[in-house]
Amino acid sequence: MRLNELDQARLDGKLGKAMQFAMQTIVTAAHIDQVDRLIDISFAHIDACFYNGRAHLDFINYMLEHGATLAVPSWTNNGLVSLNDLSVRDPLASREMNEARQLMQAYVRLGCNPVWTCAPYQLPGRPGIGAHIVGSESNAVSFYNSVIGARTNMYGDYLDVCAAITGRVPFSKLHRDEARAAQILFDVSNIPSLIRDNDLFYHLLGYVIGRSCGNQVPAIIGLPSSCDEDDLKAISAAASSAGSVPLFHAVGITPEAATLEIAFQGRQPRQIIELSVDDLQQARNELGKNSDQALAGIALGTPHFSYTEFERLVRLLDGRSIHPGLVFYLTTSRHVFEQAQGHGWIESLQQAGIKIITDTCTYFSPVVNGLQGKIMTNSAKWAYYAPGMLPVDVLIGSLRECVESAVSGEVTLDQWVAS
Amino acid sequence: MGCFVNRQPDSIQARVLIAGWAEGSALVLDDTLSFWGGFNPSNGEIIDVHHPQHGQRVGGCILCIPQSKGSAGTPGGIAETLRNGSGPAAFVLGERDVNIGVGTLVANQLYQLNVPVVEISIEQIRQIKTGEAMTINRDGTISINR
Repeated sequence: MRLNELDQARLDGKLGKAMQFAMQTIVTAAHIDQVDRLIDISFAHIDACFYNGRAHLDFINYMLEHGATLAVPSWTNNGLVSLNDLSVRDPLASREMNEARQLMQAYVRLGCNPVWTCAPYQLPGRPGIGAHIVGSESNAVSFYNSVIGARTNMYGDYLDVCAAITGRVPFSKLHRDEARAAQILFDVSNIPSLIRDNDLFYHLLGYVIGRSCGNQVPAIIGLPSSCDEDDLKAISAAASSAGSVPLFHAVGITPEAATLEIAFQGRQPRQIIELSVDDLQQARNELGKNSDQALAGIALGTPHFSYTEFERLVRLLDGRSIHPGLVFYLTTSRHVFEQAQGHGWIESLQQAGIKIITDTCTYFSPVVNGLQGKIMTNSAKWAYYAPGMLPVDVLIGSLRECVESAVSGEVTLDQWVAS
Repeated sequence: MGCFVNRQPDSIQARVLIAGWAEGSALVLDDTLSFWGGFNPSNGEIIDVHHPQHGQRVGGCILCIPQSKGSAGTPGGIAETLRNGSGPAAFVLGERDVNIGVGTLVANQLYQLNVPVVEISIEQIRQIKTGEAMTINRDGTISINR
């Protein structure tokens, strides 16, 4: 293990006990992965603020008591509770919820920027192409690597915090050029453009990729030029839910994939998969069925709703109200919430019957108030995880289908890939 | 007169990922397991309904994991199960795993534990049978009484 003087001083405890423990953790991670070199990072997105048992709180309390400070700008992922709205999951209702709130407050004390979002890349102040950073939440890791061209592995709990405290990570895997080459190609050229232009297409595509690429880096060819960051967010989230996909390339769209040859770093694809409409139909069926149960609600904003998604939602809703009796939850970040507020959108959506939540997400246990029964979502990630954690029956649809269903009070689907 | 075949225990030299000492009986996982979502850290139970050992508890055993399943939530699950005493006495891995290592390192530091994590080859781990008595030493030597 090659350590510079500063690393050695950190490891020897000359910069305090918290720094020593953080450095021991980084060096141990390097030892486990048989990497002999550490590199600097410029940014961290911290996931350990999402409550997962008492040990999480003990860890950050230990660090704070022993003088931990941050070496790099560090932003927080979602928490389990909303600090803005205690009615979502009541922090006074149980020991766990109360500890979840304490955990979030501890990361504020550490000096994190409390953005509380799983879509930090929607906020100003993005890392640049080639920047070495620490990502932790799986969709954000994928988006940072794929869409922004920053470099991060999927850092687990505690390692993310130790990296933020030391500013160092092992120089391994996706930090290195060679690990970023595409290996498997997904060709969507044969999908009719009517389907490729629909936002649901990207969720289904991401799901299919996650299911079929194993641990290979995928590249996609044939995406329309209309493909925007909301669409790429959908691929990031769906692929890293259905599988483990910390990096993908979209040829002609994402920064390390100007051409097919560049994406594959001059090598040939090991495998080429041509997607058909049937593959998308099957993905849609696997992500939920239109059961006989009556529609109980809508869940949007996984990962967090963007400014442009708000704009589309307001346009699609067109002044209409949500059908009485349905719950309609939308999750977003504080930052995007304020942007939307500036346009008067928050007020009008709330008046229409939409509950807008910041700081957290709705697909985790314990259930967010009232979210049970048959729920429709536009998110493959929500559809993938929620049935395992909540008493829900899920159906996936495009944003337009979700809005039309919410207004009419019953599932209203377009023709193209109706289940 | 009883005839005891006093066999020498089998000995394996492992690579030490986290140094510690433990003894207990082996529990060899028959499939990959996510310690976030597939495992209940409050009681050490395997809760993944698709797992062949669903319902088993890992408390006190030498948990042998031929193949890992990467999850960013793993360290939290490991640290929590070790904190409340429902976790394994040691981890023997057939494939290196940073998340299991970091979760154990954090628990050892916070709760003054001595739980080892060691790595052996996939061939070696396949020789271990559930129920065999194992001792793991700080230097990575593993002895197995068969």
